[in-house]
Order: sequence, then C-alpha cells, then structure tokens
Amino acid sequence: MRATRGRARLTAALSTLVGLVVAAAFLAPIAWTVLSSFRPAAEAAQPPLPPWPTRGFSLDAYRTLDGFSGGLWLHAADSGLVAGSTVVLSVVVSLFAGYGFSRYRFPLRNTCFVLVMTTMMVPFQSILVPLFILLTRMHLQNTLTGLTLVYVTLQLPFSIFMMRNAFDAVPREIEEAARIDGVRDLRLLVRVLLPLVMPGVATVAIFAFLNSWNEFLAALVFLSDESKFTLPVLMTAVRAGRFGSIDWGAVQAGVTVMMVPCLVVFLALQRFYIRGLTAGAVK
Amino acid sequence: MRAFETLLAAATALTALAMPAAAQTLTIWSRSGQGDTLEAVAKAYGESHADKVAVVTLPVDEFVQKYATAIAAGNAPDAVALDLIHTPTFAQAGQLEDLTAWAKGLPYFGALSPAHLSVGTYQGKVYGLPLTTETSVLAWNKDLFRKAGLDADKGPTTWAEWKADAARVTALGGDTHGFYFSGACGGCYIFTFTPLVWASGGQILVDDGAKATLDTPALKDGVDFYRSLVAGGMVPASSRTDTGSDFLSIVDGKIGLQSIGASQIGVLTIKYPDLHFGVTLIPGRDGGTSSFVGGNNIVVTKGAKSVKAVEAFMEYVYSPEGQRLMVRHGSLPARSDIAADVMKGQDPRYDVAVAAIAVGRTPYSPLFNDIINSPNGPWAQMMNAAIFGADPASAIRDGQTRMQDVIDAAK
Amino acid sequence: MSATSLPTAATAAAAKPKDRRRRKRRDLVGLLYVLPAMALVVVFFVVPIGMTAWMSLHNWPLLGVPRFIGLGNYVRMWSDAGFWSSLRFTLLYTAVATVAIFAVAFPLALFVERPRPLGALFRTVFFLPVVVGFATASLLWVWLLNTDSGLFAPAFQALGFTPQRVNILGDFGTAFPAIVAMVVWKVAGFTMILLMTGLQGIPGDVVEAARIDHAGPLQRFRFITLPLMRRTLGLALILCVTGSMLAFDQFYIMVAGGPRNQTVTAVYTIFNQSFVSFRLGYGSALSIALLAILLVLSVGQLWLLRDREDAR
Repeated sequence: MRATRGRARLTAALSTLVGLVVAAAFLAPIAWTVLSSFRPAAEAAQPPLPPWPTRGFSLDAYRTLDGFSGGLWLHAADSGLVAGSTVVLSVVVSLFAGYGFSRYRFPLRNTCFVLVMTTMMVPFQSILVPLFILLTRMHLQNTLTGLTLVYVTLQLPFSIFMMRNAFDAVPREIEEAARIDGVRDLRLLVRVLLPLVMPGVATVAIFAFLNSWNEFLAALVFLSDESKFTLPVLMTAVRAGRFGSIDWGAVQAGVTVMMVPCLVVFLALQRFYIRGLTAGAVK
Repeated sequence: MRAFETLLAAATALTALAMPAAAQTLTIWSRSGQGDTLEAVAKAYGESHADKVAVVTLPVDEFVQKYATAIAAGNAPDAVALDLIHTPTFAQAGQLEDLTAWAKGLPYFGALSPAHLSVGTYQGKVYGLPLTTETSVLAWNKDLFRKAGLDADKGPTTWAEWKADAARVTALGGDTHGFYFSGACGGCYIFTFTPLVWASGGQILVDDGAKATLDTPALKDGVDFYRSLVAGGMVPASSRTDTGSDFLSIVDGKIGLQSIGASQIGVLTIKYPDLHFGVTLIPGRDGGTSSFVGGNNIVVTKGAKSVKAVEAFMEYVYSPEGQRLMVRHGSLPARSDIAADVMKGQDPRYDVAVAAIAVGRTPYSPLFNDIINSPNGPWAQMMNAAIFGADPASAIRDGQTRMQDVIDAAK
Repeated sequence: MSATSLPTAATAAAAKPKDRRRRKRRDLVGLLYVLPAMALVVVFFVVPIGMTAWMSLHNWPLLGVPRFIGLGNYVRMWSDAGFWSSLRFTLLYTAVATVAIFAVAFPLALFVERPRPLGALFRTVFFLPVVVGFATASLLWVWLLNTDSGLFAPAFQALGFTPQRVNILGDFGTAFPAIVAMVVWKVAGFTMILLMTGLQGIPGDVVEAARIDHAGPLQRFRFITLPLMRRTLGLALILCVTGSMLAFDQFYIMVAGGPRNQTVTAVYTIFNQSFVSFRLGYGSALSIALLAILLVLSVGQLWLLRDREDAR
C-alpha cells in the first residue's frame, strides 16, 4: 500500500517535471525575445546567447524602433484605436445577431446563419481587391474606420457563433419570467440577458482584440498614409531593413511591443476566455 | 461591366472633387530604403516656396502594388518617385501624364540622365524624368584587404582577381568572408549581377523586353563565377535566403567585397565611420566594366490636378541649388552639364559612381516587377537555383522558358 | 450544454392562430437584430465574392481595360504548373501540420485535463503562444532561425552539432520542419483546449466501468475516449485543416515562398497573381477554385460528423 502510494507520488513528481520542461519550451521564444530586446545596440546583431543583456540593460532597440516612420507611439495608438473600435463593434453587432439567431424564427434564418458561417472559409486575401475598390467608393479607403469595418466583418462568423451558443445556453424561462414582469426587447437584452452571456461577450471581445491587433495584410493594402500605419505594417519596414541591413534589435522590440498587450489581455481575462471558448467548442 | 466601370469612374471623379482646389501641398510617394534625398529637397523647397511637398514613404516590397491599386481605385497621389525600371509598366498601361512638352522645353533636357529617359519614354512620349540617380559599384573593405596582405587601395579588375582577393580575405578565418550578395533577391541580382553579364558582352532582355535571353554563355559564366565563390566557402551561409533585407552586409566589417549602390556610399560614410572602404566599377570576366543605372523617375499620375506644381518642384530639383542638395544627400546628379560643378567637394569615391553612369545600362521591360523583382518570379528563382542548386545549366534553361512564358502570356 | 449547434427546425408546438400572428410579428423583430451583421456580411463579403466571381470571367489587368473571356481563366488554370504545385504543397503542409499539431496537442490535452499541481499554470503557458499574432510569431521565429543573429544556428555550432553556422531556412529539408515547428508552437495550445473540453465531457463513470472491466489505458483511449470525443475532434480538425489550407503569413514573412518557390501556398499564388502580376481576373479564378476546394473539404467533414451523430 505504502509502496503504491510512493510510486504514485513519484509518477506525479515526474509528470510535473516533464510539464515544467515542456512549459519552458513553450515560454522560451517569448522570453528570449523580450530579454533580447533590452540588449544595447552593439549586441543587437549578435546571437542571443545568453538572451539577457550582458553589458547592461538598454532601451536602444526601442529607440531604433521609434525612429521608423511616425514613431512607436503613433503607430501603437493607430493599432490601439483600430483594435478598440473592432472590439466594441464586434461585441455590439454579434450580441444582437446572436440574440436574433438564438431566439427568433424569422424567414431565411438558416440561410443567413450559414451565409455568416461561410465567411470563415473564404480566404479574405482573395477578396482584397474588390474590398479595396468598395472601400474607395465609400470613401473609407485609407481610413482606420474602413479597416475597422473589414475587421469586424472578418470577426463576425466566430463572434456570432459564440453569441448564439451563449444565448442558447440561457434557459428560456428566465426571459419568460422577465417578460411577465414587463421587461421587453432591448431592455430585456441589456438588463437581463447580457449579464448571463458575459463570458461569451468576453470571448468575442478578446478574439476581436487579438485578431485586429495582429492583422497585417489588410492593413498593409488599405492604408497608404504613413501616419495611419498599424504596428504590423510598421514592422514590415523594419523587416525589410533600412540602410541595407535588418536591425534585429528593432525586430525584437517590435515583436515585444506587439506581443505584450496580447499577453496582458489574455492573462487578465483568460478565465472568461477559456470558458467562453470551451463552451462554444462543446456544442 | 459597363455599370461597374461607370461606378469606378464616378468614384474617381468624386475622389478628385474631394481634393482641395488650391493644393498647396504636393504629395509624392516614395519607396523605403532610399535614404533621405527626396525628403531633404522637399524640405528645402518648402522653406523657399509657397507650395509644400510632402514625401510619403512606402515599404519597397509593396510599392508597385500599392501605387497600382491606388490608381485602380482612383486615389493615387499626383506625383510618384517611381523606381525608374517600372516606368514602362505604368506608361504602357496609360496611367501616366504625358510630360513631353514641358520636358523638351527644359533648356537642359539634353543633359538629363539618358538611362532614366530611355525607360521614361514610351512610344516617343516622355512620361518619366530623372529624380534620383544611382549606380551599382563594387566595394571592398580596406582594413580586411590590408590584413589579408592585399593592396588596400586597389579593387579587382577581372573575375580572377576578384576571386583571388575574396579567397585571401576568407582565409583570415573566423566569421570573415570574401564576398556577399543577397542570394534570394531578384532586384539585387539585376542591380549587382547583370553588370557582370553586360561587362562580358551579354544581355538578359532584348527588343524592349519582348525577348528573354538568359540562356547565354555570358550569363552562364557569371553564374559559374558566383558558384565558385560559394563553393569556395567565400560567401556567408545567410546569403542564400537573403531577400534583400541584408543588402549591405559589408557594414558589419566581416565582408571583403560586395557590390553596392552609389547612394549607399553616403550611408556607409555617415553611419559607419569605422568602415574603411574603396569602390570600383564592377568588372567583366577579363576586364571591361559595367553598372546598373538605377534610381527614381518622377512620374505624374494620369488626371492629376497639380501637374504645374510637380513641374515647378522638378525645376527646383534640376536647379544647381537643388542638384547640389541632392548630391549632398546621396543621389548622383541628374544633369551631366553641371555634374562636375555640383559634385565639387564630394567624397572622391562618388567619382567612380558617376563614371559608372557612362558604362551603365538599365534593362527595359513593361513586366519588370513580374519577371525580375518578384521574389517568386522567374529571374529570382533562376538565379538562386543556378547559383545554389545542383544543376545550373538546367536551372538557366528553365528560367529562360519561364520568363519567356510570362512575357508571352502578357501579350 | 446539449443544445444543438447546427440550425435545426424549430420544435414548433401547435399554436393558436392569434398567437401565431403575434409570433410572426415577433419573429420579424429578430430580423432587425441580425440586420447590422447581415449588412456588414453582405457589403464586405457577399458583394466582394460576387465581384470576384465576375472578375474571374475576365482578363482583368489592374491597370487598363478588362476584357470578357468567359471561362478562359479556368482553362488556363488547368495547365498552370505553378498553381498545381502550390496546391500540392498546401495539401502537404495541411497534412503535416495537422498531424503535428494533433500529435502535440493531444498529449498536452490529456496532461492538463487531469487535476494536478500547477495544472492551471501549465494550461496558461501552453496556450500563451496562441494569442501572439501569426505575423508577430513569424517575425519572432525568422529572427530565431536567422543564420548569424538568431538562436538555433549559432547554438548548434556552439554545441558542436554543425561545423559551421547552417542556414536553416536555406533548404526545404530544414526550412519546412522549422516552419511547421513554429506553427505547432503557435497553434497547439488552441487545439489542446478544444480537446481538453472534449475530454472533460466524457462521463467519469464510463471510464471507471471500463477500468473495472480490465480495459488497458490504450484500449480505453481507443474505444471510449476517441468515440466519445468525435464531435470535438471534428471541430478541432476542421479548424486545423481550414487554417492550414489558407496559410500565408508565415511563408510570406519567413521565407518569401522560398527556398526556390517550394513553399508557395495556394493563397500565396493568388496573392502573387493579383498583386505582383496584377492579373486580377486570373487571381479571382484561382480564388474561386480554392474556395470550391475548401467548401468541399468542410462540407465533407461536417457531413461525416453529422452522419455519425445520427447513427449513434
């Protein structure tokens, strides 16, 4: 009996150890980049062995990065604005749509739903040119608004799927009870149901943030004013090299700047995120 | 279809209407990696004139796409500093303003860079005029040459000398290599490798770009020369995947020889003062020299409202003051009649770069982006396969077939 | 948790006529709720798709006048070696990446599914790379894989594995596994979470019963775990396959389709035709073809899934 327990404990310890090793492997690329970004300019082109600064901590890499295009803050603000608006719009639109698809039996409901879901299977690269022409016609080309609207559309299939499932999971009795109390329509949705589908909203918001913050090709094609470039577009200039060589320090700094908000948002909200995601996956 | 075109036209008209009538700020698009020449002249122009010039820099790899999509969408800028080799593409597509009357009226028209005008002229009309000028030259690291026991003040004049120098520098050991080139970069090969072919009497495109002539002894010789450098371990391993982002590897002080652009002479001297380097003309196999004359043409988008403003700006650029300013910021002079004057006091290495204009060429093709510059196009693929692959002869044959296919398909 | 995911007919109970009329009016309100979403999808998705289909019937240069050529582009596609080789590579990549992702994600899911010390930490860390963008991850890894300034080549040299610094991205034989490794690092956590959810959905008593019947761990996995996870596996598979079929960022940013065009994917070909060669018509035709392939794949997978569900 004691031997069995001892062996079980050994197995548990071993598997924790294996877990730690694998976790370290998953974490390593991120840690490596963040640490390396604080090396002084003179070390930027050296292999990151070790990754941390050996000759003192330095912000050189960030200063170099700041020297590209309109500067780091401007482009971070552009990215933040686009990501923020995408989050708000995605949540509002998919909240309504999810509610509509879950609770109403209007004509063409299934067709509409399948249509939205099909969006997921279409490489948007293939409709980039028509999109560009459309945006121009609407005077939205080269605007952050136009880019945001495209991002929201790209987010819709996942968001609506998520929100519809979230509403499906809410017992109808709650609504019936609220209706009897005279709470209807928008008020019913916002006051009564919204708190119940909050995990779904959080999932939609986080996905919208991550995807719009990280998107690169549409931003590259739709924006032509340097001052409107989002961070990934700024990074193409860094990746393409300046004065005939890549500044790897600036690449590391840029990767860090683009990663950190994603990591922070995820770590802060992961409970909602994973729960929302798994709730969607089970169905 | 007709409706679609009408809508497109309407969109164009609307975009034009939306623009301020008294356009006091002229926007010029320019590609990245061009130094600050244009910005400097634009700034000086703005300080001395009522009109202002704003330079918008776009990533070089996406530049042609962006300009073309902007034209298609009807919101292209009035003026563009266009990589000169792309002028035929846009001129042939009928998207550029005919500048012939104004250009030919310039008293110094005959002195403007012939390479720029050759690609800037389509069916007898002038669509592009020289803005910045650039040539390819061969640079060597004097410190490494000295260390390797070579004459630090003499660059190679034949391929045999080139290879011997590279071998001696490589023999220094460590991370030091004799030669570097961006091995996965079509635009770099055309800039630095074709001069080898030209200097040996070869051509890669003839008949205004209608016929590819890749499968020639001159090109094969050049490929074999590069292969021998790679096989001899004289080229860093990173070369074969470099899509041009590390075009100036010589700056790290561990490269013996490298072909560079004249505009980079300024970058090297200012940003890397510790790097002591010489430049010479890119030699042919047994002597002879050549160069790629590059740079930017100024072009005006068809239907632009501010043609006059562009012309006024260009007249400033061509003035002795403007030319002097351009030269100080890394461009070569566009006007040969005042070249000697505006080059006075410049780094003597620029003299080599100016001399290169006389022996240099610029290939002509309306499909330049497609067949030469694209990282996935026939030229870049062929060069990489021929130099780094197992079977150069068949790589060149394939490249010839595929390039001709693209040219024919576009007819 | 048992609600259906696929739109099924409403379980309409017999209603009185007056109720039905009110019901109908109420249902129309539903249309209002989905209207903003539908408007966005129509304007930024349906219309562009329609334009793509229309353009695919034309010789449509980006600059210049489009010319109607019927099915000319589709005929040309038939003999376009570049397109077929990119399609072959895309399928190869999809197969390899999917297998690799599942090979990593399944053990991870089994690992994090059980309560254990530091379990939450493990789950978080394995998932972390998922939130990093593909472009960001590609930039990060292109640095790590760089010959002289990266991590791997100098480290391999320092450890004596290779006599010189090797250009990992210079050869298909090393570049392809390296990129797949990057993708696995970036995506495995996502698949892991999906699979973990499926694992948690398996009733404990079923597993316990099998254990009492002396079913070994492998047998339990094969005959209990897998069948009961069919739906989750299906979802994870569809997401994995679709994502891989549309791969572009990593091949564009990390190797530019190299070495020697061996990693040009289908979307990459479309991008090149449309934005490098400016053959918008032909690019559109390729898009339509890829779309058809994806639809067939997805519908096939969905159908298989639903079929089994009914059979159960």
